[in-house]
Order: sequence, then structure tokens, then C-alpha cells
Amino acid sequence: MKLSSWVQLFVAVVALPVGALTAYAVSGGPSDGLASVESFSSIADTTARSAAIFTELGKVLTHPRCLNCHPAGDRPRQGDVSRLHQPPVERGPDGYGLPAMRCPICHQGANYDPAGMPGNAIWHLAPREMGWEGKTLAEICAQIKDPARNGNRSPHDLIEHIGDDHLVGWAWAPGYGRRPVPGTQKQARALVEAWVNTGSACPN
Amino acid sequence: MTTLSVTINGKAYGPREVRDELSMNDFLREYLGMTGTKFGCGAAQCLSCAIIVDNRDGSSYTSPTCIVPAINFNGKSIRTVEGHAKNGELTALQKAFIEHFAFQCGYCTAGFLNESQVLLERLAKKRIARADLDKTIGEALDGHLCRCTGYVKYHEAVRAVILADPGRYLS
Repeated sequence: MKLSSWVQLFVAVVALPVGALTAYAVSGGPSDGLASVESFSSIADTTARSAAIFTELGKVLTHPRCLNCHPAGDRPRQGDVSRLHQPPVERGPDGYGLPAMRCPICHQGANYDPAGMPGNAIWHLAPREMGWEGKTLAEICAQIKDPARNGNRSPHDLIEHIGDDHLVGWAWAPGYGRRPVPGTQKQARALVEAWVNTGSACPN
Repeated sequence: MTTLSVTINGKAYGPREVRDELSMNDFLREYLGMTGTKFGCGAAQCLSCAIIVDNRDGSSYTSPTCIVPAINFNGKSIRTVEGHAKNGELTALQKAFIEHFAFQCGYCTAGFLNESQVLLERLAKKRIARADLDKTIGEALDGHLCRCTGYVKYHEAVRAVILADPGRYLS
């Protein structure tokens, strides 16, 4: 092969990954991240911008790490495929399980990676009225704004719940074998805050 | 490494240094040689690894040991299957298990025994109506898996213990 051909081949081989890295940099991070609040500033209409921000937040709300404990019924789900929880535990009267199978008995205060066991000090199901399994993003949005269905939370409370709650925060550090929720809790907080500040509009 | 001190069947163990990732099941079986507690599924589904945890307020509950680190039991008081019989005398529950032929291979038996014992202690504190007995036993033993017996004899054994002393367990 001629030297010029080797050079052309070398350039082609090097250019491909460099191009990919450049695209990565332009996108602002890995494809499983969250878009920044600033990236929505190009949407002039406030309502549309608000709805777009919620759609981005939807990546968090509909992720299995969150959805599995916001089920429609009384049984949690598990795994990225959201299969029914095994063993077949149930919500119980307080969301912490039935008397013989309380959630904290197995789910201890922290992840226990040797057994692949997720954990948090207050591991339990979200109340039934806060279940959004099977709902569209628009339906989840309406539900999450409704104090009768969001644990009687004000918009400010929602910012704190998603942005600061340590059980919610577990979703970003779920332990061995589990895919974390996109982005960071801090980024999610910023999105919730921006959504609330732009009128909490819901997507269609 | 973390220091672990735990009371097992009334006897204090530790303090001793253990690995943070050591499961309670391994601590009991490998460190202490207490092999009555079994390792079945390793996922808290079969509950053959379940032991009794005694709270300070006098209540008790069962806990799997296969998916819980030993250090999480630091400072706690637990009971294993080895701690039921006293001075060679079996408990009424153990005798009932034998009389009713409740177990075959015995692998799930420790878990069933501990769960049943917790149930009896709970009923002794808060009795239930006779009409609710079977449902209560079923709920208490729910989750414990047995591949040999079909469960009926376990339930019969526990029911027999309760019905032998109705004033203590039933309202």
C-alpha cells in the first residue's frame, strides 16, 4: 500500500472516534443524562417551555427505579423489566408491607451489594393514590400537581420531595446490578424548580 | 471491617471484627458453626434462613439472614433454631412438628419453626378469634417455601399447639 493510502486510512480511523467524542461534548453529557434547565431557554413560550421541562423530568418519573415503587396496585415491581416483586410482597396497611413481610426486614438501611439487595432507611411503597404505573406523562403530570394525589404537597414540597428526599435520592445510587435514574438528583431538582417556576404546565 | 456484638439464644457473642459484606447467614454458619439456620435461595424468597429478632419492647419478628449483613445485627438479640429446646427438652411447637410429621428433609424447618414461634408469642399478647385462626396461621407462614411437604402438616402442627391452649391464644 502507498504511504498516502496508509495516511488516509490512519486519518479515517482516528477521525471516527474523535467525531463521536465531539458529538458527546456538544450533547452535554452521556445519553442517559438530564438536559439542563438552560437548554430549554430557546423555547420562547413559557407554557410550552414548562411542558418541555416536565417531559424531560419524565425520564426520572417513568424510570423503573421510581416506577417500581409507585405501582398502580398493591404489589411493588422490580428490575428494569418491572416484573412483579419476588417474593410476592404486598403494600400492607401502611405501605411498609404485611406483618410477616415488612419491607425493612429485607431492605435494610443501605444497599447490600453482595446480595444485590437495594436498601434505604425508609424503604416502602408510595401511597396508592401516588401510583402512576401505566399512566401517560400528561396523566402523571396532572396527578403530581393534585394535592389529593401527591401526598398533599404544594409545588414547593414537590421540589423538596424530588430534589432532596433521600429515598428518592436512592434512585441515583441504586446499587449493584441496577441502572440508575438519568442525571443527578441535583439536576432533577433544578428541573422541578424550573417547571414550578414556569407555571407547572403539563405536556399533551 | 466492623465490630460486631450480638446476643444469640441468650449468649453474647463478640465484640469481634467482621467484614462489612459478611452476611448474617455466613456469620452464623461459617463463623459460629451454627448450621441449623439454612441457606436456601440467597434472595430472601424461601426464608429457610429466617431467624428471630427480639426487640427491646418485648416484640419479635423474623428476619432473613441471607441478604442482611451481619453488622446490621450489631447490638441486637436474636434466636436461632438451636435456641428453642432447653436442657434437651423440646418446645411444644417442636413436639407438634414431630407429632404431625410436619417436616421431611428439614431444610425449611428452622424458618418455619422461628416464624411459628413468633406467631405464638404474638397471639399470647393479643389473642384472636377462633374464626380467624386458619387465616392468621396462613398469613404468618406465608412466604416460607417447602418443596417436600405441601405445607399442610406445618399448618396443622401450629394449629394444634394453639388449640391445645385456647385460653392463651384465642379470644
